[in-house]
Amino acid sequence: MQKIIGGLSIVSILLLQADNISLEKRVESLEKALKANKEKLLNEKMKKALNSSGSFNQKSFNPDISLILDGSAVIRDVTNSRYEGYSIDGFLDEADEIPFHKNRGFNFNYGELGMHSAVGPYFDADAIFHLHPDEFEIEEAYITTKKLPYNLDMKMGKFRSGFGRINSIHQHAQHFSSQPLVYEAMLGVEGINDAGVAMHYVAPTDNYLMVGAEAMQGTNELSFGEANQNNLYVGYIKSGFDIGDNTALLTGGSVALGKTEANRDSRLYNGELTLKYILDSYSSLNLQGEYLYRDREDIKQAGYYTQLIYKKDSNWEFGARYGALNKNAKNQPDNLKKYSAIITYSPFEFSKIRLQATQDKSKSFGGKRDTENEVLLEFLVETGSHGAHAF
Amino acid sequence: MRKILLIILFTTAIFAKLNVAVTYNYLGEVTKAIGGDLVDVTVLSSPKLDPHFITPKPSLIAKLRRADLLIINGGQLEIGWLPPLLKRANSSKINTGGIGFLDVSGAVELIDKPKSVSRAYGDIHPDGNPHFGLDINNIIPIAKLISMKLSQLDPKNSSTYNNNYNSFSSKMETLANSLKEKYKSCQGKKVIQYHELFNYALRAYGVESLATIEPLPGISPSSKHTIKVINLIRENGIKTILQDVYHEKKTAKFIADKTGAKVNIVPHDVGAISEANSLEDFYKIVAKRICQ
Repeated sequence: MQKIIGGLSIVSILLLQADNISLEKRVESLEKALKANKEKLLNEKMKKALNSSGSFNQKSFNPDISLILDGSAVIRDVTNSRYEGYSIDGFLDEADEIPFHKNRGFNFNYGELGMHSAVGPYFDADAIFHLHPDEFEIEEAYITTKKLPYNLDMKMGKFRSGFGRINSIHQHAQHFSSQPLVYEAMLGVEGINDAGVAMHYVAPTDNYLMVGAEAMQGTNELSFGEANQNNLYVGYIKSGFDIGDNTALLTGGSVALGKTEANRDSRLYNGELTLKYILDSYSSLNLQGEYLYRDREDIKQAGYYTQLIYKKDSNWEFGARYGALNKNAKNQPDNLKKYSAIITYSPFEFSKIRLQATQDKSKSFGGKRDTENEVLLEFLVETGSHGAHAF
Repeated sequence: MRKILLIILFTTAIFAKLNVAVTYNYLGEVTKAIGGDLVDVTVLSSPKLDPHFITPKPSLIAKLRRADLLIINGGQLEIGWLPPLLKRANSSKINTGGIGFLDVSGAVELIDKPKSVSRAYGDIHPDGNPHFGLDINNIIPIAKLISMKLSQLDPKNSSTYNNNYNSFSSKMETLANSLKEKYKSCQGKKVIQYHELFNYALRAYGVESLATIEPLPGISPSSKHTIKVINLIRENGIKTILQDVYHEKKTAKFIADKTGAKVNIVPHDVGAISEANSLEDFYKIVAKRICQ
């Protein structure tokens, strides 16, 4: 019995030893393979390093670039030559520039090239260039701060003022193809777009409350335009809150205090209200209105617009707008009106085809007031890394 | 008087909860589970709406402005609505790169990353499919990441966050295993869906999606494409159409009528349907409606 056990143990020891030897061998070969693999990887790395070419490659630092194209076809019952010099009694002597939908027939309105990039941890930079068929225009170019205390942010450069509801919104992001009458009459198609600085503060309150102050050059000749020094100061306060889950409200008041070309006071006041009722993810009702009051060289004028937009789904949008100038200089008409309606089709998020019909009873052509009727079809596409639009 | 004021200030500083804003409901549920009484959670969007298209209401700016921590889904799901709000709130704390900004997509492996990126293929997500919250197995690493971020911002309470994470993850693991066991038979099932919204959940249960009702991401259904889908359903004997709550349901119903397949409404987030009001119920319902 003992012998058997002894024999067995000897056999098992021998077996174990054999096992150990084979294990050692396996470990050895694995180590070898690992080493070979490591060397191979190192060799490959070295080969790449030997002919390195990407050392100064900065492609990943390129700014976000977007390109927007906008064109339109226009049917209008006023000839191009009469339309070009239109005037609005008491407000506008002669339109000096018509950047959009100028001609009967076909228009390429603009290409908009936008760039956005972080400069570093402290600043962002944005530039928006408008390319017209024979003109290159810096629409906006500004830097914004990111790290000021108290959530303050500052903007420096050339930019569209935050005055009112739509002054800062680019043409392509608006619901209508043309501007509301009151903006056209008091600020022109370009609006308040100047070199200057702006400061914004969002209060840490339950409801949205933002105040902004701007110092601008004041080059807008329709309302300001004193050229000997910077002349325009803008201030605004905006507040927003929700009514229930589906309704959002944004309201605000703005003032712009400046000097005219004759170095006389010009003051512009604005009240705005936007009400959005969310029907579902793709559908909403949007009611928006603004009132503008101007006291320019002691002449008091006012106007307003209201618009209703029904977004039916991700493809279709319908809208109507009524605009009026209801207060004017002495002996000037105070019943200037403009009606617009739109149907917009978006086959895809970044493209729009918009049909707009307008009846304009505010303009004079060749010194004579006349009703202008217009139907236009606008085509608009946004490509590249274009940022999302705000409320 | 000054003493009282100091005491008040002191105590509010001690008992001040972390203000956490999250973009979607499921992130809110996870944050509540990990943060418990130590956090105040604000959800920025409604789970009944399309997570890609949230109306950038001004009230959301106020919510962001007061947040100490912003937790986003990432994978470009918020790119269409959050950036302008974040810019206006201008809080250096929660801006990208700030200590109070957390993108949970870093915690999971994204699938469906497109080989080539162009808008010619519709509204694609260049980083991959961002709807990873639908897979219960992904919620555990996301919870881990959130607990780590909360500990980083509030180190005093890190043990609480860690303990909460441990109990949360074991609870979720148990649920994940039981669901996997329960719906074993669903492996190999073929379905179609409206948008590639459920891919992560389908992968978890071995279900195959053969087509989407939308021809391309973000493009409304066309009759031509719908006919193609109907033929595909007939050829493959597909019996289930997975429909989300926020897209139009007419096309799915039309296809169902023509083919005899069944339309199952599957929630995409906690609270999207009334039966899915907790994380547990949400994952149970997702599994049930995909597999049955």
